[in-house]
Amino acid sequence: MADLEFQRQALTHLDALYNFAMYLTKRPPDADDLVQETYLRAFRFSHRFQPGTHLRAWLFQILRNTFLTFYRVREREAPVAEDGVPEWDVPMFHHAPEDDGTSMDAHTDLERAMRRLPEEFRSVLLLAEVEGLPLEEVARVMACPVGTVKSRIFRAKERLRGLLRDYETK
Amino acid sequence: MSERFDENSDEVLSRRLAGELPRYAAPARLRVTIVDAATPTPRRPAWLGPLLAAAATAMLLALVVLPVLPRIVPSDPTQRYVRAVVSEHSRTLMWGARHGEILPSALPWLTQESGIALPKVFVGDERLEFVTAEPVYLERQRGIAIHYRDSDGHMLTYIALPAPGLTVPDPARVQIGRWRPALMRDSGFAAWVWKQGDVGCFLVSDMVSTDDVERFKEYFTRVRATTEPVPAY
Repeated sequence: MADLEFQRQALTHLDALYNFAMYLTKRPPDADDLVQETYLRAFRFSHRFQPGTHLRAWLFQILRNTFLTFYRVREREAPVAEDGVPEWDVPMFHHAPEDDGTSMDAHTDLERAMRRLPEEFRSVLLLAEVEGLPLEEVARVMACPVGTVKSRIFRAKERLRGLLRDYETK
Repeated sequence: MSERFDENSDEVLSRRLAGELPRYAAPARLRVTIVDAATPTPRRPAWLGPLLAAAATAMLLALVVLPVLPRIVPSDPTQRYVRAVVSEHSRTLMWGARHGEILPSALPWLTQESGIALPKVFVGDERLEFVTAEPVYLERQRGIAIHYRDSDGHMLTYIALPAPGLTVPDPARVQIGRWRPALMRDSGFAAWVWKQGDVGCFLVSDMVSTDDVERFKEYFTRVRATTEPVPAY
């Protein structure tokens, strides 16, 4: 298990991880579980963390991998509907389950639009634009080249603009 | 209004995402949960398990071996008798009587098995309840044992067996009415010792305190006055 100093440093990123988890899972109980599991994994494998590298990015990477593992299992068990993401090439992306009674309410059109983006798009925007991670770190978290990150950010913003425009016209 | 979204250039959208998108803060209990889950529970020292196992084994062996260890036999024959009847009493306390015979219906069988006849026998009263009677074999002699229980739960064992060599030690004698039995002690038990002819009689109990001994005297009187053991053959 990790030493106390590592735990203390890791816990300074708790709010950022929780925010990321909330946008991924859309449910506070799921976000709680996801963050808790992320920290337990981080503490258990703290010896694999290379000092001097970005701890925050490492934690985001663990959280996202845990999320994908968790929801991939769910997807195998019960395929998720793709309501709300019309005619886009979404099948290659992973989606969190759609809203039900336990999901959080969107406060703004921007938040609602974010929640309707495929996970890969949502994640790059959250990591790069909200959390301010460098593209190299985002690429590490997303396990893809930097060029792919740039492309996804571009496409994500395009979709976001489209969704915001739809909300406005309605 | 659509102009507003046309103005959502990359830079504007980035600013909106960074500034307008609600941020969710982790609940305080989550931090506590994580810290608690990460705190290792205190582990037992590695040597504690084997040590406890060894201690338990040693205690078990002691329990098995202790009763069969040779005991120092008292040179005084009276004390030897007392030790034997106390052992019989404590065995009955721990394991119960070997037979559960009812008096007076079992008297013929008891006489046949023990060689002791009881023309008169105390079968209990409101203070001292009869429990059971059984033949015994102590100090190489057949005898008879009768067990009673008083209202406070004290067990009493009356034993009569042929004991021609038994002498009641004078220094331990106590005057109780018209009798002078000896009060002797062994292994935390008290025993009245007296003779009726060639039959040695014993009344054993765990009543050893001063108050208990006074009651023990009463029980002796009840048993002594109404029990008359004689050799049957």
